[in-house]
Amino acid sequence: MTDISHIRNFSIIAHIDHGKSTLADRFIQECGGLTEREMAAQVLDSMDIERERGITIKAQSVTLYYQSENGEKYQLNFIDTPGHVDFSYEVSRSLSACEGALLVVDAGQGVEAQSVANCYTAIDQGLEVMPVLNKIDLPQAEPERVCQEIEDIIGIEATDASQVSAKTGVGVLALLERLVHTIPPPQGDREGKLQCLIIDSWFDNYLGVVSLIRVMDGRIRKGEKIRVKSTGRDHVVDAVGVFTPKRLETDVLEAGEVGFLVAGIKDIHGAPVGDTLTHTKTPDVPSLAGFKRVKPQVYAGLFPVSSDDYEHFRDALGKLSLNDASLHYEPETSDALGFGFRCGFLGMLHMEIIQERLEREYDLDLITTAPTVVYELLLKSGETVQVDNPSALPDPSKVEEFREPIADVNILVPQEYLGNVITLCVEKRGVQKNMQFMGNQVALHYEIPLSEVVLDFFDKLKSTSRGYASLDYTFMRFDASSLVRVDVMINGEKVDALAIICHRDQADYRGRALTERMKELIPRQMFDVAIQAAIGSKIIARQTVKALRKNVLAKCYGGDVSRKRKLLEKQKEGKKRMKQVGRVEIPQDAFLAVLKVDK
Amino acid sequence: MNSIPLALYIHIPWCVRKCPYCDFNSHESRHIPESDYISALLADLEHDQALAQGRAIQTVFIGGGTPSLFSADSYRHLLQAIHRIVPISGQAEITLEANPGTFEYRKFKGFQDAGINRLSVGVQSFSEHQLQALGRIHNRHEAIQAIATARELGFERLNIDLMHGLPGQTVEAALADLQQAMDLQPSHLSWYQLTIEPNTLFYSKPPTLPDEDDLGDIEDAGKSLLQEAGLQQYETSAYARPGFQCQHNLNYWRFGDYLGIGAGAHGKITDPETGTVLRYQKTRLPQDYLNPDKAFCAKEWSVPAADLPFEFFMNSLRLQEAIPKSLFEERTFLTPDMVNQTIAKACHQGLMTATQHSWQTTALGQRFLNSLLTLFQ
Repeated sequence: MTDISHIRNFSIIAHIDHGKSTLADRFIQECGGLTEREMAAQVLDSMDIERERGITIKAQSVTLYYQSENGEKYQLNFIDTPGHVDFSYEVSRSLSACEGALLVVDAGQGVEAQSVANCYTAIDQGLEVMPVLNKIDLPQAEPERVCQEIEDIIGIEATDASQVSAKTGVGVLALLERLVHTIPPPQGDREGKLQCLIIDSWFDNYLGVVSLIRVMDGRIRKGEKIRVKSTGRDHVVDAVGVFTPKRLETDVLEAGEVGFLVAGIKDIHGAPVGDTLTHTKTPDVPSLAGFKRVKPQVYAGLFPVSSDDYEHFRDALGKLSLNDASLHYEPETSDALGFGFRCGFLGMLHMEIIQERLEREYDLDLITTAPTVVYELLLKSGETVQVDNPSALPDPSKVEEFREPIADVNILVPQEYLGNVITLCVEKRGVQKNMQFMGNQVALHYEIPLSEVVLDFFDKLKSTSRGYASLDYTFMRFDASSLVRVDVMINGEKVDALAIICHRDQADYRGRALTERMKELIPRQMFDVAIQAAIGSKIIARQTVKALRKNVLAKCYGGDVSRKRKLLEKQKEGKKRMKQVGRVEIPQDAFLAVLKVDK
Repeated sequence: MNSIPLALYIHIPWCVRKCPYCDFNSHESRHIPESDYISALLADLEHDQALAQGRAIQTVFIGGGTPSLFSADSYRHLLQAIHRIVPISGQAEITLEANPGTFEYRKFKGFQDAGINRLSVGVQSFSEHQLQALGRIHNRHEAIQAIATARELGFERLNIDLMHGLPGQTVEAALADLQQAMDLQPSHLSWYQLTIEPNTLFYSKPPTLPDEDDLGDIEDAGKSLLQEAGLQQYETSAYARPGFQCQHNLNYWRFGDYLGIGAGAHGKITDPETGTVLRYQKTRLPQDYLNPDKAFCAKEWSVPAADLPFEFFMNSLRLQEAIPKSLFEERTFLTPDMVNQTIAKACHQGLMTATQHSWQTTALGQRFLNSLLTLFQ
């Protein structure tokens, strides 16, 4: 048992690549959480995809014991946070279990927009924020400039910020020592009635629902009956414990501690994130504030290439959503693609990850349609409706006003790339709200239509600033806008899954670019394929994919059939990712061609 | 008694020089153990004698490599000895693949006396420049001489192998090659497009080939030239004067049985009771094939019944002739109804036609044979 005064709960706020995962690994190593042999690099990123892409998707925690210089032993609970802009909502969740946060900044690159936003969230939640400069071993490190930047942009004291290199280990012990003295211990009454916050829940194939919890008051023991406040359901605690990072059952968690709970809950909705737990016998314990529910920002249709896979696909989505409360889905039927699901995602990265997981873990071949944001329409009937699917857009004659979502966008960019970034924002129909010079960096504040932000803005921003600009955005409001649906016709037939909604001023350009791009992506077939873009009945662009001349194996050595078979099987394999629409075979990329039409 | 016709393929695995486009089982060698190899072929056939199931051989094809490197005496001995192991039908078409070099065409008379009644001459092109690019060891003049010699000797069944779609080839150049071939009046022409296969020199150092549209133009123009010259197309790459189709290849395409002897040779035999199709391949490397301690057969397998329709159509749809449904039944022991759905789809796409008793590939189906075949996969 660790006395509550010797517990420190903290998160790390850091931009991608600023070394959060490496620092976490270093902590685990210094505190002996894993033996050398068990220490696979970056243990906290446990999903394959996280490891491959070098990003953290799901919040996780690890409990470590640190022996301080004064001989005291501290329990450190480190709650991991995701680093990509798509997943920023998870950050505030992780922070709510902490009393402190380390703001890790790359000593060469400086502060990034998303860290600023997360840092403010931490300060708002009353956390002690400790600035840490990482990568000080690199030749391009400029600790003084970056400290100044932290003070200028974020406004916290940073003159004697900790300086470390997570890679080499320099300064890591000193940082831990400083952490236990700077970050306050949690408050809480261990003798009081049980009150726990569910920080995260996920589904484990063997254990059922596992929840990451923070005990605010009282203690929770194995075998006790507990109640989930929002559902009113009672469960028996099968196990509680901590991750060291291996799962270690402790039989009890006390106020101030962070750990896992298994209570025979079969469905993730039985342990909602942000909910409050108490004992069955103390049902009147008040509920904690919980979290803002996160809304998907982008919607896209996902369809199995083979209609035989529909059931399997539905099961896979069900299983995946057990672990990902932010994934929304509902059945969608497309004339062109058959039965599938309309899925809501936090952003493009989230969408790519979901598709990749479905294909990799569930062996599905999927077609994803062009992602779109949610639009709001005021109908002539006086009704307001939201539309997340271009093909569901009502007849324009019935619409009084089209409204598109506007995002509040904050960008930090080194001065030398300011021009490029402003050009990009203008191209994306942005309206500048503010611009502040802060040392070497410029803080830009824009309002930009969300549809322009969610698709490829982040990638464009990165490439136009050689990776130095950073971005944070949130949905703000709906604004009236002139919107049209651009339909795409293949050999004269409208393909619902290819329609896009865009601003009227951009429609001609987009229609042209889209058909040109699709011409490159659709392979030549046995007949000419006409690709047309249209607004209503007016054709705005046309391209033709010329028919193949032939498709035949010239000479076959009669006796040896295996060689022919192999060749034909290869051709068949190539068709796996193609969807037959009418007589035309359309590859997966073509459905996403709209993502690649910008200059 | 098995009613499926039986053919015999004999592989000669050596060449003077390996061509950069060739992925067949051929090897360069200075010292070719000719008589040992003939003995091995006969031992191999003896071993497979039971597979003939008492049937006589309807056609023999000696392919390579370069079979014309061997002497006429070797073939005389080989064919006589084969006849004693598995009888060769009196009317049998017996083909030998020959290189059109001076060294070879001097032997044509001998080949004829040995019993070979059909010559297939690997000309590939009449353009000196292309012959060099293709790594051939003969020249234009030799090619013309070789054909003329064969004709003078009275080889009525005479095939020219010609390629098109050669590196940098224009429509005009391809037609000039064809016209030259037609001037020599062969009774048969194999006119096939050069394709780059894995495990060839061209695959590792690809030459620049004509683009798809040029290839289409070459083929269209070439076909009308051939038609005017009186050669009828009867298979994807095969053209013949009426009555001169290659019987041996027809047997493959009609899903007949065949024995295969020689290094890397393939065979296909149908069990007359069950209809199970046995396929086998002989050991590939000449030194292994010649090694008395090693088995001739490298692998053999039964084709799963589910794969038989695909294999049947993969061969038969190459032909322009109508395929009797009874042939499908006879060769696969399966009922034609089982492919109705697929055929209906193919007909709907305009790739095939079907009547009560037969199926046929359309002109569109001929051009897009691969697309047609994937329907059967």
